[in-house]
Amino acid sequence: MPQAEKKGLSHATLATILSIIPGVGQFFNRQILKGCLFLLIAILYVGGFANLFNMGFWGLFTLGTEVPRDNSIFLLAEGLIAVLVLGIGLLFYYLNLRDAYKNGEAVDNGLKPAGFVRSFKDMTENSYPYLLVSPGVLLLIFTVIFPILFSFALAFTNYNLYHTAPAHLADWVGFNTFKQIFTVDIWRSTFFDVLGWTVIWTLVASTLSIAIGIFLAIVVHQKDLKFKKFWRTVLVLPWAVPGFVTILIFAGMFNDSFGAINNVLLHSLGIKAIPWMTDANWTKVALLFIQSWLGFPYIFVVTTGVLQSIPEDLYEAALMDGATAWEKFRNITLPFILTQMAPIIITQYTFNFNNFNIIYLFNNGGPAVANSTAGGTDILVSWIYKLTMQSSQYALAAALTILLSFFVILIALIQFRRTNSFKEG
Amino acid sequence: MKKHWIKALTLAATAGVFMTFTGCGPSSSSDGASSSSSKKSSTLLVWEDKDKGSGIKAAAAAFGKENNVKVKIVEKEYAGQLEKLRLDGPAGTGPDVITIPGDQIGTAVTEGLLKPLTVSKATQKLYTDSAMESQIVKGKVYGLPKAVETTILYYNKKLVSEADLPKTTEEWYTFSKEQRAKGKYGLLALWDQIYYAQGVFSGYGGYIFGKDSKGNFDAKDIGLNNSGSVDAANYVSKFYKEGLFPKGIIGDKGINVLDSLFTEGKAAAVISGPWNFEPYKKAGIDYGVVELPELENGKHMGSFIGVKSYNVSSYSKNADLAEKFVKYLTNAKNSKVRYQKTSEVPAVKSLAESDLVKKDVNASAVALQSQHAELTPNITEMDQVWTPANNALQVVDTGKSTAKKALDSAVSQINSAIKAADNK
Repeated sequence: MPQAEKKGLSHATLATILSIIPGVGQFFNRQILKGCLFLLIAILYVGGFANLFNMGFWGLFTLGTEVPRDNSIFLLAEGLIAVLVLGIGLLFYYLNLRDAYKNGEAVDNGLKPAGFVRSFKDMTENSYPYLLVSPGVLLLIFTVIFPILFSFALAFTNYNLYHTAPAHLADWVGFNTFKQIFTVDIWRSTFFDVLGWTVIWTLVASTLSIAIGIFLAIVVHQKDLKFKKFWRTVLVLPWAVPGFVTILIFAGMFNDSFGAINNVLLHSLGIKAIPWMTDANWTKVALLFIQSWLGFPYIFVVTTGVLQSIPEDLYEAALMDGATAWEKFRNITLPFILTQMAPIIITQYTFNFNNFNIIYLFNNGGPAVANSTAGGTDILVSWIYKLTMQSSQYALAAALTILLSFFVILIALIQFRRTNSFKEG
Repeated sequence: MKKHWIKALTLAATAGVFMTFTGCGPSSSSDGASSSSSKKSSTLLVWEDKDKGSGIKAAAAAFGKENNVKVKIVEKEYAGQLEKLRLDGPAGTGPDVITIPGDQIGTAVTEGLLKPLTVSKATQKLYTDSAMESQIVKGKVYGLPKAVETTILYYNKKLVSEADLPKTTEEWYTFSKEQRAKGKYGLLALWDQIYYAQGVFSGYGGYIFGKDSKGNFDAKDIGLNNSGSVDAANYVSKFYKEGLFPKGIIGDKGINVLDSLFTEGKAAAVISGPWNFEPYKKAGIDYGVVELPELENGKHMGSFIGVKSYNVSSYSKNADLAEKFVKYLTNAKNSKVRYQKTSEVPAVKSLAESDLVKKDVNASAVALQSQHAELTPNITEMDQVWTPANNALQVVDTGKSTAKKALDSAVSQINSAIKAADNK
């Protein structure tokens, strides 16, 4: 841009500097209406949010100084909202500066900056997608990002029963809570026990339901099978019943002394009663069975869809080459299913990692095991829930939640990166 | 190069906003509080227990007239009121008077949710000792008791007549064995939970928290693994190991199984609380209630006493009037009316001993058992006791550990949990 390299300050630079007060740079660029609009927005923004910033940032840094006037948790929330609002404001500020610079550059190049109607048209044409998603993004910021930030921030405070409003204030304690998870005996030993079972649970429960779902879909897809619609309906039924109802019914059926499984099913087979609810290992078996029951229909339905889309000529070609049924499955069907369903399969794993319902409803994480603060089948989420509800360890629960999301995000990221389904977008 | 200007300026603006505001904060400290308290509101919001509003309606109206104030009663489940107060209180929509269980008072006081009351010694004498004790934390009174409840023994009159009713746990043991031979159950209880098993523990000399010289609970003195507790745990586990208590009533879902065994007429007797008066009647069981039996060592079986109380929220803008209302509601006259309307056993001593209560079979069983009952410790450390203690009982009852080992481990868990929760 040779024209911009003039002596002294170029128009663009001047406009940018003037735009430190939003709108003034636009005036300088002779975009009066746009300048007015920017100035108005800036005035409204500062006037409207000054109080929020005042309380919010002060609260965020101090978490309150005086009881009972200050409530640390409310101040924290206010502070985070202030940060988000400030973020949005700064984005606007940046756009304002850039706008001033861009149009100033146009003046430097001897062009006339666009009029208000033109700029508005330009915006609706060039930035149309951004315009469309912005309400959604705004909503997302306050309904999704804000809660995440909030629980994230909680983990770095000492918020528990003894630091609760109105009698007490909470404080920032840095990584202290995280340190405690790995140093305080009862939490450390329990954490690794629970983590171990959580990982096993996630892998086995998800893999089982995926395997069963795919297997059944292939069986039902066989050409010579009659009453296909009937089979499909029957196999989808477990999905049609609300999960929590199924779990509660199973909890009754698995009762050690009165459940139908022990009294009817196993009894008729001549097998002695199994302590489903009072022996941790058997409870785990029961849980895996129930989750397979609950989880396979979804995989079954999706796989059925994928199977319809595999071109028939592939199989015909394979037949000509003399491939066996197993070879056809191994080299045609399975690769098709796996690439198309990778995202769904991954979400099965992340879902089971945090599958609170089944653990809590079936036996509340029980049965009890000696020398542990968690029950024999507690997974991380259900253990966190117990900690928060029974002993008001909010900060600890938040810290554990962060560790938990860390695992889930890590696993999901690795798996997503290794599949091809997202690359072909 | 000039593009960098834009970023630099934006950053400068960020820094500017932070620097301007982090130093400030609320302009003056007590402004908000004083202005709102000077505006005395003329309504008193009272949160009463679910379905119990009828018991205080008349009293509320009379009090309102006398003090020229509108008393508004809202019914909410009493165990969840504190939870709601935590949010409604700071928002300014909270109640002035709440109804909560006595074992939540320690927690509520620690959080500063309750306002201490000034109650004369004479007024304190009105109530049964344990009921009044539940309202006192570190020497200060935080509420007045409304009703007491404790576990009692329900028996099915069709399966066991009042005359044949076993009087001791040993007799029940033998009776249960006979019933098992017939394919039925004798006595059933949720002794895998410390709330119920505590009745046996206390008879053998076990306890959860000891008391210091001033009568306050001492969290450093845990008696759950003393020799009495070990004996009690062994005694309790006998019922499970010999099949008198089915394995199916162990654990979290046990309470549903126990209730349905009784309502299906498969169990002759169960230990449960006053909350089952109605459900058992609705299930069509012709039941009787008595106090809990004696133990084999001749001591009467104990139980935990639960106290429901009226307390004043510390967020109340009308605290003096609310305090007056609490005292008014819990006086002898209004307690009597409330008892007649809601049949909750009153905490007023003279009333509990009056003919009115004694003639009522249900209420008198609760009143009689209350004499052997002890208070659920109302200190916050109690929160850390339930899970480890229940776990220990469960592993003993399922034969996965010996009593001594399990209880030792429970106590060390409770100790470390108390220590961990108490990080300053």
